[in-house]
Amino acid sequence: MKTSQDLTFHDRVVALTPGGEALEQCLQCGSCGGSCPAGADMDHTPRGLFAMIRAEMEDEVLRSNTPWYCVSCYACTTRCPQQIPITDIMYTLKQMAIQAGHYDHPHATKFSETFIGFVEQRGRSFEAGLATRYHLYHHPTDMVRLGMMGLNMLRRNRLPLRPKSIREVDQLQAILAEAKAIAAKETYR
Amino acid sequence: MSDKRVGVYVCHCGHNIAGTVDVEHVAEWAWGLPNVAVSRDCQFMCASLGQDMIEEDIREHGLTHIVVASCSPHMHEKTFRGACERAGLNPYLFEMANIREHASWVHPHDKDGATDKAKALVSAAVHRVLQQQPLEPLQVDIRPETLVVGGGIAGIQAALEIADAGFPVYLVEREPSIGGHMAQFDKTFPTLDCAACILTPKMFDAGAHPNITLLTYSEVEQVDGYVGNFTVRVRRKARHVDESLCTGCGTCWEKCPKKVIDTVFEAGMGYRTAIYRPFPQAVPKYPVIDTENCTYYQTGKCKICEKFCPTEAIRFDMEDEYVDLEVGNIVLATGYDIFDARRIPQYGYGRLANVFTSLEFERLTNAAGPTEGKVVLRDGVTEPRSVAIIHCVGSRDKNTNEYCSAICCMSSLKFDHLVMEKTGAQVYNFYIDMRPIHKGYEEFYHRILDEGTQFIRGRVAEITDAAHSPEEEGKLIVIAEDTLIGRQRRVPVDMVILAAGLEPRADAQGVAHMFGVGCGDSGFFTERHPKLDPVATMTEGVYIAGACQGPKDIPDSVAQGAAAAARILGVIFRKQVALEPIRASIDESRCSGCRICNTMCPYNAISFIEELSVSRVNPALCKGCGTCVAACPSQIITGAHFTFEQIMAEIDGILVDVHTAPPEHTAVEAV
Repeated sequence: MKTSQDLTFHDRVVALTPGGEALEQCLQCGSCGGSCPAGADMDHTPRGLFAMIRAEMEDEVLRSNTPWYCVSCYACTTRCPQQIPITDIMYTLKQMAIQAGHYDHPHATKFSETFIGFVEQRGRSFEAGLATRYHLYHHPTDMVRLGMMGLNMLRRNRLPLRPKSIREVDQLQAILAEAKAIAAKETYR
Repeated sequence: MSDKRVGVYVCHCGHNIAGTVDVEHVAEWAWGLPNVAVSRDCQFMCASLGQDMIEEDIREHGLTHIVVASCSPHMHEKTFRGACERAGLNPYLFEMANIREHASWVHPHDKDGATDKAKALVSAAVHRVLQQQPLEPLQVDIRPETLVVGGGIAGIQAALEIADAGFPVYLVEREPSIGGHMAQFDKTFPTLDCAACILTPKMFDAGAHPNITLLTYSEVEQVDGYVGNFTVRVRRKARHVDESLCTGCGTCWEKCPKKVIDTVFEAGMGYRTAIYRPFPQAVPKYPVIDTENCTYYQTGKCKICEKFCPTEAIRFDMEDEYVDLEVGNIVLATGYDIFDARRIPQYGYGRLANVFTSLEFERLTNAAGPTEGKVVLRDGVTEPRSVAIIHCVGSRDKNTNEYCSAICCMSSLKFDHLVMEKTGAQVYNFYIDMRPIHKGYEEFYHRILDEGTQFIRGRVAEITDAAHSPEEEGKLIVIAEDTLIGRQRRVPVDMVILAAGLEPRADAQGVAHMFGVGCGDSGFFTERHPKLDPVATMTEGVYIAGACQGPKDIPDSVAQGAAAAARILGVIFRKQVALEPIRASIDESRCSGCRICNTMCPYNAISFIEELSVSRVNPALCKGCGTCVAACPSQIITGAHFTFEQIMAEIDGILVDVHTAPPEHTAVEAV
């Protein structure tokens, strides 16, 4: 068996993604890049990124903005003719980029951290709190414009003001703590 | 047992076996097995060197039984039986141990385990072969008649080749006319020959040939028998037209008031009448009445066709008939279905009017088609000024069909040319890989490049009518990543053609079951060997040709039709064929006449002899499957070559301890 030191960058991406072996099957057809609603803003399309992973361009891949623009809509994954779990690979790359300290725009991770903070606390996402907290910390100037949108959403009953929790949230927290402990052991870096 | 002398031969198969299994050790170890007089290993047993070795050992060392440990019996059992026979040994005193598919190939990472398994398999074969009895093959006569199922270009070719050689052929076709998909096409790649111009003469020849009996508008319902002697029941669907009186004058369909969308020949692009002939060059020329749509069959009134028919050929009371055919061989040439593009909803077929399938475009551009060859949008008048052709629709996609449909690259290039020639429109081809792989195909691709088609490398993600800018208004927008640039592109066009893939016929499984052939993962019929025997099947006497075996274009289909015919002619000229003597037999002196086996037999090979009150097997019908052997409550049915003693010996053999040391033995000098 290979040890983690022997693994190439490509192998690590595959190993860290459930079903990641399908990455070997990429035909470079571009269904993912064509389907991506955020594709225009990405510095590389997902397909391009996969070719770079194959070419072991670790630094460039982990510095790419592509995974951070992924909105997890799964359009690429459902359309991929080779059934590659593309969205999941994007999560792997985000994780690796954070660990490598490679990503140049630290704000990008903050949204995820705020989101996960709520989920860990309550077992559910809480949009009103998420948007307020994220923007207060990172984009305070944008609050007025977003406030107007928030009011409109409130009027249409689209924005609950009180956070909801799941029952027995302590059990979820125990599961998440266990998962984190396993992840810390299994990470190849 | 002491007079029996077994020869064991362990094959390296290059690295296929020797790369994993320690073949020298297996051969050494085999010296310790009962009655082994010679044990050797060899690079390639199937080569003449290996075969000669067996022959010479039989003569020199007086071998009475042979075991070859190599590949699958499907591959080379015949080869080694032949070697035994040439040296005067009954070929059924030979046994094969499959140490490639069953050991080296499946355990590539466990050399010791694979070697142990190979030893156990060799031991099983040696123990078994000692129990084997000499058998004589059954000789059966071959009927000279051939059944060809499917009247497309592959079936027509097969029928003509056999008929031209002087033997009778029944050509069965489900539709009212022969011709198949090729009759629907306009031009053929890469030469741009008119499809009708090269097909119609062949259709005419098939229709007029004295040795060919056309059974159109007919389907095979039942197949019995075996190579050389099949009995086939064909349902002749009622045409409701007396073929002996009809002249094909056309008065009936000109007068018929009922118009129906023609979803078969016109691919839904045009209309036909309720009494119809699918196309002008149809063979035979007689029409049929579509009773599901005919006004008379729905309301009891009309009969206009009958009134106008000058030869009084209309028969409303005609019923389906059954004919039983006796044939020696069968060719399946049942063709393919077009992939239903609705299964990829993001391409909008069926929702966006100006998204067409390749077959629809074939009808559109065909001079005899619904628009008389004018390439126009769904409104029937507007010429497109830009057209996108999408490759790999329902091909190379694990969500639909994983395989490549083989013809779409070339038919798309043909469409490029036809669109530009007829409309001057700008054409965009969205492809993953260009695969123009046969003679003259790459040159045709270069010609289309010259003519100005834009090739965009990227599988289309989506086709939409939601415009983002004024120039996209009213257009279909094709969204794809241009993978050579690494950027998303939105290409607005007037018309989209989906190069839909080829699929097995919807009823291919049922047909395969009826004729006793297999279907692979993709659903196409399985050939006997993918390289060396592409038109035969695992059922003797049943051959496959054309796209029912896998996606293929016209030249390949014609080649396969002719190849199947050549194979069959070889069998017909031999007049007899040898059948495996592996058959069941009943010990009539002990048969209680319970008849349980009669109903169990899947081949109806067992009959009950009333006067003796016993059951008896017809060896020509029996396939040696063993069902009756297991079912007999008195255990008095024996399967030749699979007797109780042979199977128990094989089990004893496989259970021996494979970790014993190889014995001392007298050296056998190389031959």
